[in-house]
Amino acid sequence: MKKRRKLFSTRNPFNTQETEACFVQAMRENCRFQYRNCAPYRKLCRHFKFRPGDLKSVEDLGRLPFIPTVNFKRHKLFSVPERSLLLQATSSGTSGHFSRIGFLFGDLWCGLKMVLRIGSWRGVFSMRPAHYIVMGYKPHKGNQTAVTKTAFGATLFSPALSRTYALKYNEKEHRYEPDLEGVIRALKRFAAGSFPVRFMGFPSYTYFLLRQMEERGIRLKLKKGSRIMLGGGWKQFYKEQVEKEELYRLAKKVLDVDEENIIEFFGAVEHPILYCDCVRHHFHVPVYSRVLIRDVDTLEPVPMGQVGLVNLLTPMVKATPILSVMTDDLGVLHPGSECGCGLDSPYLEIIGRVGLKDIKTCAAGAAELLQKM
Amino acid sequence: MILADGKVYDSAAQGEILKGLERKINATRAEGQLLPETVITAVEILRNKILAGEFAERINELTDSGVYGAENLQEQIAQAAELLKREHLEYKLQIELGSGTSGCGGDKYKFQSRIQTRIMPLGTLFHIAAGNMDGLPVYSVLEGLLAGNVNILKLPQADKGLSVEILVELIKIEPGLAPYLYVFDTPSEDVEAMRQMADMSDGIVVWGGDEAVRAVRHMANPGVKLIEWGHKLGFAYLSGYEDKERELMALAEHIAKTRQLLCSSCQVIYIDTEDMEELYGFCQEFLPYLQRAADKYMQTESDTIGTRAELSLRRYSDEVENVFLREQGKKAAASSVAERRRVWYGRGCSLTATGDSALECSYMFGNCLVKRLPRDRVMMQLRRHKGVLQTVGLICDRESREELTDLLAACGLTRIMRAGSQSDAFVGEAHDGEYALRRYVRAVDVERDLCISHK
Repeated sequence: MKKRRKLFSTRNPFNTQETEACFVQAMRENCRFQYRNCAPYRKLCRHFKFRPGDLKSVEDLGRLPFIPTVNFKRHKLFSVPERSLLLQATSSGTSGHFSRIGFLFGDLWCGLKMVLRIGSWRGVFSMRPAHYIVMGYKPHKGNQTAVTKTAFGATLFSPALSRTYALKYNEKEHRYEPDLEGVIRALKRFAAGSFPVRFMGFPSYTYFLLRQMEERGIRLKLKKGSRIMLGGGWKQFYKEQVEKEELYRLAKKVLDVDEENIIEFFGAVEHPILYCDCVRHHFHVPVYSRVLIRDVDTLEPVPMGQVGLVNLLTPMVKATPILSVMTDDLGVLHPGSECGCGLDSPYLEIIGRVGLKDIKTCAAGAAELLQKM
Repeated sequence: MILADGKVYDSAAQGEILKGLERKINATRAEGQLLPETVITAVEILRNKILAGEFAERINELTDSGVYGAENLQEQIAQAAELLKREHLEYKLQIELGSGTSGCGGDKYKFQSRIQTRIMPLGTLFHIAAGNMDGLPVYSVLEGLLAGNVNILKLPQADKGLSVEILVELIKIEPGLAPYLYVFDTPSEDVEAMRQMADMSDGIVVWGGDEAVRAVRHMANPGVKLIEWGHKLGFAYLSGYEDKERELMALAEHIAKTRQLLCSSCQVIYIDTEDMEELYGFCQEFLPYLQRAADKYMQTESDTIGTRAELSLRRYSDEVENVFLREQGKKAAASSVAERRRVWYGRGCSLTATGDSALECSYMFGNCLVKRLPRDRVMMQLRRHKGVLQTVGLICDRESREELTDLLAACGLTRIMRAGSQSDAFVGEAHDGEYALRRYVRAVDVERDLCISHK
């Protein structure tokens, strides 16, 4: 995995152009590993008449067999013995099914380097201690979701004086319960203190909290250096722009946090690459990842600017064949120059999700299909 | 929107209206009987108004979300107008409720002078309509009216108000129909309200899938008559041709026009063979037909991009799933079958040839399954799907038609049509093998004369 190491050691995390060859080599290396060690993956490659050696140029990435996230929900795919996994993470699995992705030490090491690189670029690390408000789940042994793990990870970006969670586990009832009042009480305390506050968690919860505070007329001035970090999976991408603008406005009004200190992250357990927004709130593709947009009919890659299905690629993980994953999102890839923040790497805009909207049907079985919408 | 006593109310008035509904219905039923003539006269005027374009604007809105595109919609309106003609309604009454009656209330058998049997309306019908076919809720109610019943209609969620508008117009034409028509836009989650409606009914007419039917069975009290019009699966059976070019084009156009959303739409094309190569050959040959039809009749604008993406993704992930399952040996027995699965992709349409013979729902929207089914296996295979059999589009040579028709009818099919006309309505047709009006009435025996034989 030499090429992967090289890729994840790239100094500029958004230099996608110059790392193209390295990315392809790292993908080939990963593909070969999966092909040798994961029988279902090998079968899939054979089914599509693809061999790891076929991966020679960036164009070949489009031919690499991709696996839809739904298939990870139905199958546990590992390319190493399960006992050698350092960590297993699952997607939130609202429908009762979830993807289970394994990580080896090397995979996580790459992940750590990536987080450090992207985090320093966006200035999220600090030596100054801070109070953390996690607008998400309090870690619990029964909760393996990646979103809980990453939210906790984010509280390590600076020395944590305290951690307050919006969703607490009720041991008696065996379920999570929201505790917004506890969060508001803590915020009032921290505003009076001398250390900054850092938020991490779901944008929807954060927005809800801010709106509650506004309605109740609570106005606080958090210390300088306070930040609001948002994240929690691709789903949150769909939040309408209006709502985001509203969130920025509320953050200023209620907590006195400027827009530039609101940072948004995205990632999915099936594509554990840290996507972090630029100052213009666009998600540029980092060197560790590539995005292909595929035609909605033929599933062939389409040029930049066209809408299609979002296919995410990365050579980061060895333990599970997630090197090319198909999401159920519809998106567009824009040239980096359209953003204006100075980054050349293209940025991804998610515009919606696949689905049979407003379709009326009577053929049997379709009722179930519609329920999924 | 709620329609009660000929007036339109806001959905919020539901509780209030339901409270007094049973008393009102009882009063209506005690007062006398609705004569079919009253209904037919009103429907005829309504039909003329529709044809004169009175609801044109609202009907055109249907093309945005309905099964049919603009071009097909006109065809559908013409077909509906045909069915609503006076002579056709009279014919329907005669066919379904027997000759010699003037509709409900007529004395049926007169050979027994002492006891007479009258065909009477069932009483109160609660219609739970499905949203897959525009106009269906209204049609269901009209059938109820024709049989003389008081009708409570629960609208499907996809209904955008057209049903109420049409029924309001009908009441305007014939105010005497007002006490026989109640329409509610109750959401399906409001079980309590639906239970109240069910409790005051003699029959529940449910259109919909297994889920809907199951829910209604659960809700209904014993003794209430359930009239289920469940979902069915249509298919085509191919064994030679009379006019190949024309028949294949008709089949393709039907697939594209109905987007495979109707019970009578073709989900699977069965070929009378065991030979996979023949299946592949058919797909190769039929795809251009399907493509032409899809280009002509199916929407491919941006508003359906989510649908197209969903279908492509499902198709692809099923392919991946098959590979994984095969690898795990879970499909060991069926592996040779799955191995032979091949897909022909077009723009917004596809054909999937598989090695099995199961009748199942396709991906729809121009994505059809192609399977093997030699005629000596037809009975065995189709009987496994008896609950969903309805329409077959039969394409075959002239010599085989009668034999195949008999075979398919014996299997349980209730509509054996030619390719392209699987969904055509015609006057006097049965629905899912039954005459609807017969399910909406009851026979009442009445002894008039004093019996003198007792001593």
